Amino acid sequence: MLVDALLYDGITSKEHEVTLDFTFGRRVIIASHNIDVALEDIVIESRLGNTPRVIEFPNGVRCKSEQNDTIDQILLDFNLNKSKTHKIESSLVLTIGSVLLTIGFVWFMLTGGANYSANFLANILPQTSLDKMSELTMEQLEKGFLKKSKLSERQERIIQAHFDKLTQGDSRYKLHFRSSPDMGANAFALPSGDIVLTDQLVALSRDDEFRDILGVLAHEKGHVVKKHSLRMAIKTGIASAIVGYITGDISVLATTIPTVLINSSYSRDFEREADAHALKEMKKMGVSTIYMAHLFEALAKKYEGAEESNSTIGALMASHPLTAERIEFFKSHAN
Amino acid sequence: MDAPNNENVTVEALQQQVSELENEVEALKSQPLADYKYFQFKGSSSEYFRIWIVNIALTILTLGIYSAWAKVRSNRYIYANTYLNGSNFEYNADPIRILIGRIVVVTFYGLFTIFSQYHIMLKVAGGIALVALLAMPWLVRQAVSFKLRNTSYRNVPFRYEGKVSSFYKFFLLHLFLNIFTFMLIFPYSYVKFKELIVDNAHYGDGDFNFVGRARRVYAIYLKVFLWSLLFVFTVAFVFGILGSIVNAVFGESLSDFFLTIKESVDPDILRILVALGAFVLYIPFVFWNKGFSDGYFSNFVRDNTTLNNAPLKGEMKPFALGMIAATNALAILFSLGLLYPWAQIRYLKYKLEHTAFACKDYEQFESHGYVTGSTVGEEMVDFFDIDIGM
Repeated sequence: MLVDALLYDGITSKEHEVTLDFTFGRRVIIASHNIDVALEDIVIESRLGNTPRVIEFPNGVRCKSEQNDTIDQILLDFNLNKSKTHKIESSLVLTIGSVLLTIGFVWFMLTGGANYSANFLANILPQTSLDKMSELTMEQLEKGFLKKSKLSERQERIIQAHFDKLTQGDSRYKLHFRSSPDMGANAFALPSGDIVLTDQLVALSRDDEFRDILGVLAHEKGHVVKKHSLRMAIKTGIASAIVGYITGDISVLATTIPTVLINSSYSRDFEREADAHALKEMKKMGVSTIYMAHLFEALAKKYEGAEESNSTIGALMASHPLTAERIEFFKSHAN
Repeated sequence: MDAPNNENVTVEALQQQVSELENEVEALKSQPLADYKYFQFKGSSSEYFRIWIVNIALTILTLGIYSAWAKVRSNRYIYANTYLNGSNFEYNADPIRILIGRIVVVTFYGLFTIFSQYHIMLKVAGGIALVALLAMPWLVRQAVSFKLRNTSYRNVPFRYEGKVSSFYKFFLLHLFLNIFTFMLIFPYSYVKFKELIVDNAHYGDGDFNFVGRARRVYAIYLKVFLWSLLFVFTVAFVFGILGSIVNAVFGESLSDFFLTIKESVDPDILRILVALGAFVLYIPFVFWNKGFSDGYFSNFVRDNTTLNNAPLKGEMKPFALGMIAATNALAILFSLGLLYPWAQIRYLKYKLEHTAFACKDYEQFESHGYVTGSTVGEEMVDFFDIDIGM
């Protein structure tokens, strides 16, 4: 079978018009260039749309032919494998299938899929790596934001007692009392089980027995138990990877905007999960969650104005569930 | 010269001579000094769409592994459809090598993301960032070299011979220069970077050469800045005028209309709609600006580049390229990404078909053979969308 092609010898950029002869003896002959090689010694590149087909010969010689259909016929006749990818690309059904698969996958990852993958990865990562990371974070925090606590001995004793009861002597959990004017009323947990509580938050407590602070500690423990910070990190990575890959050029916008949206709503879910954990622990310990609700009311009052109003955009963007929603949550479960 | 007293010379004969000479001059004028041939792009967006979507689907099904083959396939399609003087280009990258490069980059980036999520920039994340920063000049060189050596035309590959040390020198020197001059010297750095790239690039045994003046780059930045400013003001002005006309004509009924809207539509939904509206105006502008300056810079680089003294020429209209970029962004946005291949080809086609090359002999180049090398640099540049302007 004959195929018209252009030949480039790979030594110079000269172009030669040639005819390739595919013989039944499974040889390829280019008479004008004294080329006579076995069919097995040439590489016919996979078809790519209707672009000229590249055929590689030994010694760096390349031919290009626009007769794609003839070459496909030759591949078929000589029982050489044809590119499967081109088959998919030229089938309407499979192309539509690809579109649907892609849309479905993106949708899945943006809704629930990232959760599954993040949980999976979070579960296989060893605890020692988490401890190391937490240790380093703690060091940085101590240097930059945290100061020595000014709580009275009595305050510390009561809260520590709550904490010990909560963790039931599990040595993984450690409570750190610190003052932090920069961070304000705050409490946070590192994946290692280190929980930091600021004086500023304790100051908002309305209960002499600090049962509201117990609620906060239970909430933070929930974050540790559920490995929220790690899951968050993995999710952010997944979300930006998908959006970035699919959208390509527009990624500058695409990776930032949806990630912010996805991120915030994920962390809202995490907060809810931690709240649920706190509720469970408090019930177990027989402490009413009404104290927690009171603490949130005090918080809301203190940060009035800083907190977004009850608008839809606010709710969509907020990292924490709206305080009002949380107050309601803890009130409704306060026996 | 004929003597003026020659009797054979008549006024008519002289006039005829003059007009003949004039014709000759005209002919010389109309004939281009060099025989410019325009690049052509022969691909179709429907064909490319199929390749693109199948690439994505297979990448999903193989959990990302196919992405290396996908990259080769779409690049092969684009290169093979790019023609100059009747011959097309070839993309020769090896997917396995790309896959290895990708794994390295993604692992590094993954570690960085995980570590940096912990409240404050961590030592570990900082360490990874530092390693990446220190390796940057080397990686950029790698990426440039990768792109060139995997491109061939008429079975002769391009090559890159820039030294790693030149890249470190360049980045170190220009980092300091730009810090101390508050970026005012950036156009000069731009020209120097182009020199570093283009002067060390070769097509077979042919040598590329770049001679550009920083003065021109300053002018480009000024133009881009002023036009963008004008654009923003014009849009604001037009909207302002339109608004006041509408207000003057329909003033009463309009405010009633808005009041009804305000009362009947959920205020939060209204707010989201307004925010979206602003977003939709903002995106096209950002991309218009990107295409606009790309037009200027692409022309600048092409106009100052030669291959064995044969010149390249850029004839893009920056404004038109900006409009293409802006409408592309909207098309991608409203098709939820599905028009991406169409947009990509539309942009590329415009750029290619407004680029010309004047070469007397396309057969003069001798090949130095195909070589392989590391792909990490290329994948990093690819992953982070770093524009090295090739």
